[in-house]
Amino acid sequence: MSKQLALEDAVRLIKNGQRITIGGTLCQRVPAAFVREMARQAVRDLELVKPSPGYDIDLLAAAGCVRRIRSGIVSLEQPFGMAPNFRRAVEEGRLEVIENACPTIMASLQAASFGVPFQPVAGLQGSDIPKVSGFGKVTDPFSGKEVYVVEAIQPDWAIIHVNEADARGNARIYGTPVWDRLMSRAARRCILTAEKILPTEHFASQPELTVVPELFVEAVVLAPSGAWPTSSYPDHDLDEAAIWDYLKKLRAPDGLARYLEETKAHDRSEKEVAA
Amino acid sequence: MSVAYGPPEMMAVAMARLIRDGELVFIGVNSPLPLVAASLARRLHAPNCTLLSIGGGVNPTPAGLGAATSSARLSIGSASVFDNVDFYGLVARGGVDTTFLGLAQIDERGRVNSSFIGEQKRPTVRFPGGGGAATILPLSRRVILWRASHSPRIFVEEVPFVTSAGNIDRVVTPLCTFRKEEGFLVLDSIHSYIDRERLAKSTGFAIRNLDRAPVTPPPTAAELSELERLDPTGVRRSEFPPGDLSAA
Repeated sequence: MSKQLALEDAVRLIKNGQRITIGGTLCQRVPAAFVREMARQAVRDLELVKPSPGYDIDLLAAAGCVRRIRSGIVSLEQPFGMAPNFRRAVEEGRLEVIENACPTIMASLQAASFGVPFQPVAGLQGSDIPKVSGFGKVTDPFSGKEVYVVEAIQPDWAIIHVNEADARGNARIYGTPVWDRLMSRAARRCILTAEKILPTEHFASQPELTVVPELFVEAVVLAPSGAWPTSSYPDHDLDEAAIWDYLKKLRAPDGLARYLEETKAHDRSEKEVAA
Repeated sequence: MSVAYGPPEMMAVAMARLIRDGELVFIGVNSPLPLVAASLARRLHAPNCTLLSIGGGVNPTPAGLGAATSSARLSIGSASVFDNVDFYGLVARGGVDTTFLGLAQIDERGRVNSSFIGEQKRPTVRFPGGGGAATILPLSRRVILWRASHSPRIFVEEVPFVTSAGNIDRVVTPLCTFRKEEGFLVLDSIHSYIDRERLAKSTGFAIRNLDRAPVTPPPTAAELSELERLDPTGVRRSEFPPGDLSAA
């Protein structure tokens, strides 16, 4: 059964107020075309759960799509530095940050993927994060030592950009999966955007290379260079000039609308759906 | 004979010298100077250290270095892909010797704020967040902090929020290197091109041993030529604002 959808239709699966997680990291293998289409469709009041967002949260913050974020670090990395539209949204009180460390988000997603209510986490001694973010502290019944715990957090959707998928939702990621393997197992359902859609036989020939199995996947979007301007290893590195251009455009009052209009043809091309 | 160098070269070399041969060294996101420093150490005095990259590689050998250290290019040449979940498991079980971590602010007691200033719900300044630092600082055997900038707003008496605290070994800046001693940051060495009065003015807490600490040995000709071979495109300069590269 084909789960292939056009980008616009896949984005319509995301409802206002839902909790999402987004694959990739900072400016690397972010499902950027999907993120821009969420901004075009003006999805509202999302909660983003992601250890290390970058381009995605910067754009979604500028577009007013996200009301709350749980994250460990938000950056566009060098040479770009901090995510300026994220920063402005937080400083203006439009976006709430639930302060985490990357591995505490990881642990919350692991708890969701394991079906347990909370997860012990190592470290955090001396940090103010547990106090302001509502982590628990329990006594380990086996050693009697105290340990911090974080609650299970299940996103409604994991949105992941992959190198290759079949129409049923089996997917390969080349290079590091970052957090995406975990995200696919923690969320209720996954939406994939894929550089290529290939026959199932390709995946069955080496099933150990499949990072996301079809049983978690709701929809598959064919999105060649769908991570642009972030990287998609090994096909292309991040597009430095295009990220500078994004940052420059968004400094103008109507910059976001113009940017979304200019990138629309790129994002919605190749949307032919297989019969 | 004097060799030309500035803060990027001094920092890269000072950070490289802190790596010991045979260690397992982790390089995270947003870490151009640590990537250059660890790669330099492997070419000089620490050929047997293991470099673990958040880009997924174990001793990766990409054709050239880049400023974005989360790039999956940092798995090229690696015989395995070690992902983020693998890394945070390893650090939690005590398997990482040395980690480099950045910072937005740090105080005299070595407490780091990379989160925010002001009210949490509506901060006057939002920083990026500490990444994995709150977990790594107490659990990595040694942590080397660095910041390519040094001012009284960064080096403060007391941070308003503690993102992370723990096993700080050194803090390397364009002006000096601090170490933690009996719970306080003290001057380990001052870089050769900085006078002590300027360092004191640039630091928001009183440096306890300002007059007694030695001068950082300048980069040697051998260190500088290896650095140039390793990093011909100047990744080591990418964290410095334009026009902030001179030693003056």
